[in-house]
Amino acid sequence: MKTISLYVDKGTMLNKIAPESKIWYVIAAITIPALMGTRWAGIVLIAVSAALLLYGKVLKRTLPLLAVSGFVLLTVLIIQGMFWWGNETPLFALGPAVFYREGVNYALGILINIINILMSFCVLILTTKPSDMMENFVRRGFSPRFGYVFISVFQIIPQMTETMSTITDAQRSRGMETEGSLAVRIKAFIPLIAPVIMSSLINTKERALALEVRGFNSRKKKTFLNDEVKTAGDRYIQIALPVLIIAAAVWRVTQWLA
Amino acid sequence: MKKKLWSMSFNSATLVLIPAAIGINYLGKLFAGLLKLPLWLDSIGTCIAAVLAGPIVGAICGAANNIIYGLTMDPISTIYALTNIGIGIAVGILAHKGFMKNIKGAILTGLVVGVVAVIISTPLNIIFWGGTTGNIWGDALYAWCASQGMPVWISSGLDELVVDVPDKLAVVLIVFAIMKGLPKNLVSLFHSDEEIENLDHTDELK
Amino acid sequence: MASLNIEHLKYKYPGTDRLALNDISLSIETGEFIGIIGRNESGKSSLCQAIAGLIPNFYKGAYGGKVLIDDIEVKKVPVDELCETVGTVFQNPFNQVTGAKATVYEEIAFGLENMGVPKEEMIRRIDRAMELLDISKYRDRYPFDLSGGQMQRMAIAGVIAMHPQVIILDEPTSQLDPQGREEVFQAVQKLCGQGITIILVEHNMEKIAQYSNRVALLDAGTLIDFDTPQKIFSRVDLEQYGVEAPVYTQIGKRLNLTIEDTGCYPVTLEEAKTVLLRKGGNDPVWL
Repeated sequence: MKTISLYVDKGTMLNKIAPESKIWYVIAAITIPALMGTRWAGIVLIAVSAALLLYGKVLKRTLPLLAVSGFVLLTVLIIQGMFWWGNETPLFALGPAVFYREGVNYALGILINIINILMSFCVLILTTKPSDMMENFVRRGFSPRFGYVFISVFQIIPQMTETMSTITDAQRSRGMETEGSLAVRIKAFIPLIAPVIMSSLINTKERALALEVRGFNSRKKKTFLNDEVKTAGDRYIQIALPVLIIAAAVWRVTQWLA
Repeated sequence: MKKKLWSMSFNSATLVLIPAAIGINYLGKLFAGLLKLPLWLDSIGTCIAAVLAGPIVGAICGAANNIIYGLTMDPISTIYALTNIGIGIAVGILAHKGFMKNIKGAILTGLVVGVVAVIISTPLNIIFWGGTTGNIWGDALYAWCASQGMPVWISSGLDELVVDVPDKLAVVLIVFAIMKGLPKNLVSLFHSDEEIENLDHTDELK
Repeated sequence: MASLNIEHLKYKYPGTDRLALNDISLSIETGEFIGIIGRNESGKSSLCQAIAGLIPNFYKGAYGGKVLIDDIEVKKVPVDELCETVGTVFQNPFNQVTGAKATVYEEIAFGLENMGVPKEEMIRRIDRAMELLDISKYRDRYPFDLSGGQMQRMAIAGVIAMHPQVIILDEPTSQLDPQGREEVFQAVQKLCGQGITIILVEHNMEKIAQYSNRVALLDAGTLIDFDTPQKIFSRVDLEQYGVEAPVYTQIGKRLNLTIEDTGCYPVTLEEAKTVLLRKGGNDPVWL
């Protein structure tokens, strides 16, 4: 099955619990360190996420996602380490490039924050089937029409990519240059992408008609072929996590007052 | 175009347009990458949706686009949904005012959209990344500004500006070209508030 | 009892001046198989979409006259309520895959979920539809991995599962390869005799002649004729409407072989055989 979803079913508890519980985890992982304002909270949560990912047998699959931001994080470290406003104390030098303690420290804060966000997201997206998540939302009252819009993207993108590679091959075999100077490459862009854009826009008509004749706009209460994804423990998770967030906020306020 | 600007009623065609637009965004990004263009070109679909169906649909496309990127490729990009919402709204309003009818208007739209993107993205860049963007040219400019002692919002804003304005200008011009080539009857599909006209003479007497 | 009545139907698409449907009136009995023929842009698809209520409720535009299914006036019923009365299958199977489901089984459930059909009933209907369309073996396949013919049969199953009284097939094979076409026609043949009224738009006149009880010939939005396939294909002015009669009819015309009691030319292989045998006693005429 072709989908851009990163979900894999490893049969662990993380696959079985309700998607909402995992969304609460993401919210908690992002807000608790922000509320508490200490780096240690971020580091603890990174460790928690790593443990969850290990338990869910998807820790290895986290790496490519970290790599996406890895390059940007590296530039953050370099630029802030060398040029941050508060830079005073040289830390080390690589040839002519001098890194300062303050800038590196500042960049480290960004690093922890970003990695924490990335890893907590991974707990959700590597263990949750998008359609299960959306079906649960629809059960709670989210618009089924918008639910459809959201879910269909996961399958439409691979389909369009496939069409696109067909077109690319065809254009190349007709002698179009896709490598060379910038001007050549810019010239290649439009004939490559325009046919797919056109056809996907023209197809919207038939797609919309086909959906309409299958009750897409129905105002009746929707039923579901698949059973809801949830476990007995979900209720407690969905109480405990908001409580933790509130506790973090309360802790911060008492720190202020003290 | 008598469609109401802020209409919140979405017909099926409009809803189906949203995933198609997100797919187009993705392909733009993919191909800009494959051809090693110095631009992102990842908002073509959002802009097309905004021109065809108005600012609300443009904004929804922008938001959904980044949420889905966030769930599949790059979690941090979720927060830049705000930028794409801004782009969708700006293009939707300007297209409604008739700016996308000629090339001059399209260029102006591209510039406005670029500036809107910079205004929204810069604070996000500062909060999440300390102000850099990950784009080599932009970040080099940032480093230079920082070494000159300029405030972070100027350095970061310029960093974003040198990337975003040319990018959005290119995107809007591509959208302009595509719109010229679309069949006319397709465009009317996305207008939810059109009425059915009656051809029965008997009814006219009532 | 006529199940489907069209009275003085007129329609213009938004932003156009030409009537896409110009004063069409016809009535169809329950369980009939109706073929619709005519050149491109003659109004075949528009007529189909008017029966399904998509004209005018999806397209808007200018509309006059009535389409009645039993006593339901389609214009006055939203498309989502009408889809349990009229089902429509479109040209491109690819565009009919919802893109929201992971298996063929779930894909067929899409419409039923929207209509709020209870789960047990849903499962019963999906199994029945898959059996009828002969796609039970693809139950757990990913919808986009099917071939064109299989995908189109899945689309028909998705529509049949809604239990419509009328099913419209608007050029269901035009985007398919020969094998896919044959698969879909076999499925269509199975649908005949299920008590459902079937309306088929198709360019393959042999197939139209083979299945249809009656054929509607359209040109420039007007109904030129609505009669048995024998009568329609025996018309001398057929080519003027961009329609080429089935090969058996053409042979009949060339050889001046008509069916005795109607005076029409044969339209199917069976009829051609009968006519030839009668003419030549027990031996075909050319012997």
